[in-house]
Amino acid sequence: MHPMALFPAFVAPLQSGLVPDGGRDEIFRAIFVVFLVLGTIVGVVVIGYMLYNGYKFRDRGDRDGEDGIDRPELGELPEGGGGGRKLALSLLLSALIVITLITWTYFALVDVETRAVENDDTLNIQVEGYQFGWEFIYPNGNTSDTLRVPEDRTVRLTVTSRDVFHNFGIPAFKMKTDALPGQTTDTWFQPNETGTYQAQCFELCGAGHSAMNANVSVMEPEAYEQWYANTTSDDAASGNATGTTAATAGNATTANNGTTPA
Amino acid sequence: MTDSSEPAPDGGYAGATDELPAATDEGGHATTESHGLPPYGSVKRWFVTTNHKDVGILYTVTALFFLVFGGVLALLMRVELFAPGASVLSAIGYNQTVSTHGLIMVFWFLSPFAFGFANYVVPLQIGAKDLAFPRLNALSYWLYLFSGLLLGVSFFQGGTFSGGWTMYAPLNIPTYTPSIGASTAILALVLFVASVTVSSVNFLTTMHRMRAEGLTMRRLPIFTWTILLTVWMMLFAFAALLAALMILSSDRLLGTTYFAVTSPGGSILWTHLFWFFGHPEVYIVFFPALGVMAETFQTFTGRRIVGRKWFIAAMVLVALQSFVVWMHHMFLTSINLQIKTLFMATTIGISLPFDLMVFSLIYTTIKGKVRFATPFLFTFGALILFIVGGITGVFLGAVVLDYQFRGTYWVVAHFHYVMVGGVTALIGGLYYWFPKMTGKMYDEFLGKVHFVLYFIGFNLLYFPMFVAWETPRRVFEYPEALTVWHQLATVGGFILGASFLVMFYNLTRSLVDGEAATGNPWAYSTTAEWAIPSPPPLENFPGVPSYRSGSLDFLGGSGATDGGEVTDGGAVVARDGQAHETGTQAAHAGEPESHASIWPFVLSVGAFFVFLGLSGLQEGSFVPGLAGDVYLALALVGGTITMGSFVGFGLEHFHAPTGPFGESWPFEAVENTKLGVWIFLASDVVLFGAFIGTYVFVRISAGWTGWELVPGDPIPGLMNTYLLLTSSFTVILALVAAEKKSRWGVIASLTTTILLGIGFLVNKGLEWNHLFHEGIAISSNVRTSTFFLTTGLHAAHVVSGLVIAVYLLARAWRGAYLDDERPIEYFGLYWHFVDIVWLFLFPLFYIL
Amino acid sequence: MPSTKLYAGIYVVLFAFATAQVAFEFVGLLESAYWIAFGGIIVLSLIKALFVAGYYQHLRYEPRSITFVVLSALIAALVLTIASSYSIT
Repeated sequence: MHPMALFPAFVAPLQSGLVPDGGRDEIFRAIFVVFLVLGTIVGVVVIGYMLYNGYKFRDRGDRDGEDGIDRPELGELPEGGGGGRKLALSLLLSALIVITLITWTYFALVDVETRAVENDDTLNIQVEGYQFGWEFIYPNGNTSDTLRVPEDRTVRLTVTSRDVFHNFGIPAFKMKTDALPGQTTDTWFQPNETGTYQAQCFELCGAGHSAMNANVSVMEPEAYEQWYANTTSDDAASGNATGTTAATAGNATTANNGTTPA
Repeated sequence: MTDSSEPAPDGGYAGATDELPAATDEGGHATTESHGLPPYGSVKRWFVTTNHKDVGILYTVTALFFLVFGGVLALLMRVELFAPGASVLSAIGYNQTVSTHGLIMVFWFLSPFAFGFANYVVPLQIGAKDLAFPRLNALSYWLYLFSGLLLGVSFFQGGTFSGGWTMYAPLNIPTYTPSIGASTAILALVLFVASVTVSSVNFLTTMHRMRAEGLTMRRLPIFTWTILLTVWMMLFAFAALLAALMILSSDRLLGTTYFAVTSPGGSILWTHLFWFFGHPEVYIVFFPALGVMAETFQTFTGRRIVGRKWFIAAMVLVALQSFVVWMHHMFLTSINLQIKTLFMATTIGISLPFDLMVFSLIYTTIKGKVRFATPFLFTFGALILFIVGGITGVFLGAVVLDYQFRGTYWVVAHFHYVMVGGVTALIGGLYYWFPKMTGKMYDEFLGKVHFVLYFIGFNLLYFPMFVAWETPRRVFEYPEALTVWHQLATVGGFILGASFLVMFYNLTRSLVDGEAATGNPWAYSTTAEWAIPSPPPLENFPGVPSYRSGSLDFLGGSGATDGGEVTDGGAVVARDGQAHETGTQAAHAGEPESHASIWPFVLSVGAFFVFLGLSGLQEGSFVPGLAGDVYLALALVGGTITMGSFVGFGLEHFHAPTGPFGESWPFEAVENTKLGVWIFLASDVVLFGAFIGTYVFVRISAGWTGWELVPGDPIPGLMNTYLLLTSSFTVILALVAAEKKSRWGVIASLTTTILLGIGFLVNKGLEWNHLFHEGIAISSNVRTSTFFLTTGLHAAHVVSGLVIAVYLLARAWRGAYLDDERPIEYFGLYWHFVDIVWLFLFPLFYIL
Repeated sequence: MPSTKLYAGIYVVLFAFATAQVAFEFVGLLESAYWIAFGGIIVLSLIKALFVAGYYQHLRYEPRSITFVVLSALIAALVLTIASSYSIT
């Protein structure tokens, strides 16, 4: 089922610009910064208040009763304790902050979860983790141990594992998903700068876990098409000949044929 | 209480003198006669003691040993991480270090450390003379110790488990972690869970049934409340873990294929089972720390906890909610968006009660007389650390952020701030109760030095991890740019480690020639443990503790330890309900409680060897060669010792506290043992529930209706249903016969029950044999695995029931149970439960 | 405490229900209407369990608190089963 179908009310705020938009890394950064700033403020205020109280009410050695305060006594039965209103207020305030923040990010979540589904122009690539490396399977059946993708296009990954529980992540694009044997998970990213990046395994998977990396090469669209066309000709036996002449068209066809249900 | 730091003279108090190390000889001899407990100085005492205070000390010391163990492993990691790339450890060695560090700290250090205090302090706070089942308490301890030793042994069996403390499937099966030591580590955890289950049953019975008069639930001290909620969570959460571990052990030892790569949803199944336990576990380890914070905040600020009842309500809420947040550990798996949303909501929900608790603690300091003695320095510091941990946790609650933080040092830093923040509070608890437990004062200056080093070391260790959060977890390679942060963390780790040297020196030194501590070294403490000497005498109180007057009194003074007449016993007994109980209580009145038994220790030694022996199993048979023979021999020897000690246990004359007790809500009319049996059965409900849930999950993953049943024919199952139903009926007949005082009736009914039970097993054996001949084996596929393992677990329950029934029969032969039919009744509760389980297994595995 | 006669009566009911559960299969209801048969069989098991717990384990005559303890364990197990099963649909 299309997840958005469940949350029609959420579409409006998504379009209003309140919720961070753009690539995953931009969404992450926007939310992270807000959390970091607010978190730091809350932390400093609360801990500061604690320390202030601790200092202000430190024991000055005056005897009991002088300040007219009833102190706890040994063997007393605990009372319910006052201060309920103050507590409720503080709780309300913190609940307000937390719930607002999380709800706000929830729109971003729905966006992230549904983005690749909505976009027709996505490039679908399958990722298979194994001890200890990654294999990338392109729509034309070509496999590679380097993830090559064109700049400025949404790449949709369908990730699985051949053996144990891995987790495929590319820190630079703030993208990560579990690689489970017998299951697939979907994720996407949108590289907007050419260069070589690194994908890593983020779940302990055995002796070679620390070095379970793969290169991610973000190419100029033309360079990518050229490379992709060549790989297609390598696999020409499958009769995917159109790819050599019209790479873009061939690619789109394969995507529409749906290696993954879109 | 007016002057409580020096309590009433404890003359005439049989156990009092031997508790003081100075007066061991004469006093000790006298007590050996009455309690069977040797004096403190004697090594033997520590092997036989069942007294909650001794067991508490054993827990504390052993947990500190495991802290050092896990701490050294952590320092090994930090050395490795000083620079990127492998240097000190091999890759697999690093994985083992990571895994065992986590396992030891979470299981063998954190909870047991808290349970050292729980053992020592809770009975004192609630006014009980001991736990409800003192021998089971000792058993919990010894199982805990030996499970830890078993984990230690695993290092020497080709390497221990290396799949992380979360033990994700399928890395956890022998295909990917083949060493025998890996199996041993899993079995060590199973043994640990056994210890926890026994302990939970014991604590729940004690805390619900054995509170002093006037100490209603809402009047319980907060530390006691935290322990109560902790054990409730433990009871259910650890039962789910037990199911997960049993299935895993079966995959490793017997060759079932639950988690095999080929099984549908195997790795998701593990994450569900593990985190269903794993999330409550977070609160299980944190709640006692919260309790210590609340106690020390009250004592050292001289203010009562603000909004106490809201604080308690918040904790109850968290304890309940903790069972419905587990999937936030699985946001990146293939679970659907709807359930992610639901669990995101419950996760936010569970963070809010904690806000309330934090505010409550902070507000408590207002208008206080805050004294920064060592215990309070630690708990005050712990609150700061917890706030940082809490705020960084909110980041993880936002799923979009969680997607990126998953598997990175952000998570590592966050949960160390929370969990080691909890440790910080518990260290405060150690300083707080040290004078009570030892009768000696620690050195305040060295305590403060410890805190300063600790706090600096802690933050230097964990804060840089937030900065270097893009480092993947459990990895020794990281970008060069992050090196400086990891080096800071390593330095911090060593400072943190060194701070404990100060503590060990301080406490050891103080133990030898510290200043004597008074009964109540802290102003404004309120709880009952401070109203008795330090250390408390064997029988704890100088009279029967009661809060009837509105504050603590010891009624009856010396000698009247069981004094029903003094405490208005009539009313109490009447409230206790059942008539036959009064009879037993009267019979035991005045008989002193026992405090010694060797059987918990012996039984645990036996269990240790059984589990060590079982670790040699692979695919259902022992490893080839001499090693296999050794493993088999170990299992057999261990089994013999265990069975022998069960009998020794059963025959030993041991007198546990019998009451009458003051407050027993909500179990006034349920006797201790019966309540214990029911609580145990509740944990068994979760165990079987998790097994059946696993079956349902696996079957749905594979397609429910396309699932082919393993037995082709429901008739053997129906026969077994008939047999088991009939045996349930004959157990009822045995109970009726015992009530009618018919010895032959009891013997005949029990014999029939045993025969029917054996018939059940024989029928099952024939059925299985038939299936094996058709080539259907336990390891064939996940269908056969679920069938054989789930019904096999049930059969194992039948076998245990039969063992008990045979024991009952032997005793009935000699005329037992005619005056007191309760053992038959309690056996019946178990047997009927096993029957009920079958009522569901039968249709699920034979018909549907 | 109920009489031996009541215990025996319950035993007969349990016996009959178990037989009925298998009868569902033999009359072919499982093939024709699987989910109806499923419901019927599970309900029979539930009733049997209630009888055993209520009378043989005499929960009916115990304080309700004991029932709540067992019930909360049951709910925990059901939460695990239902939520985990739902998560993969």
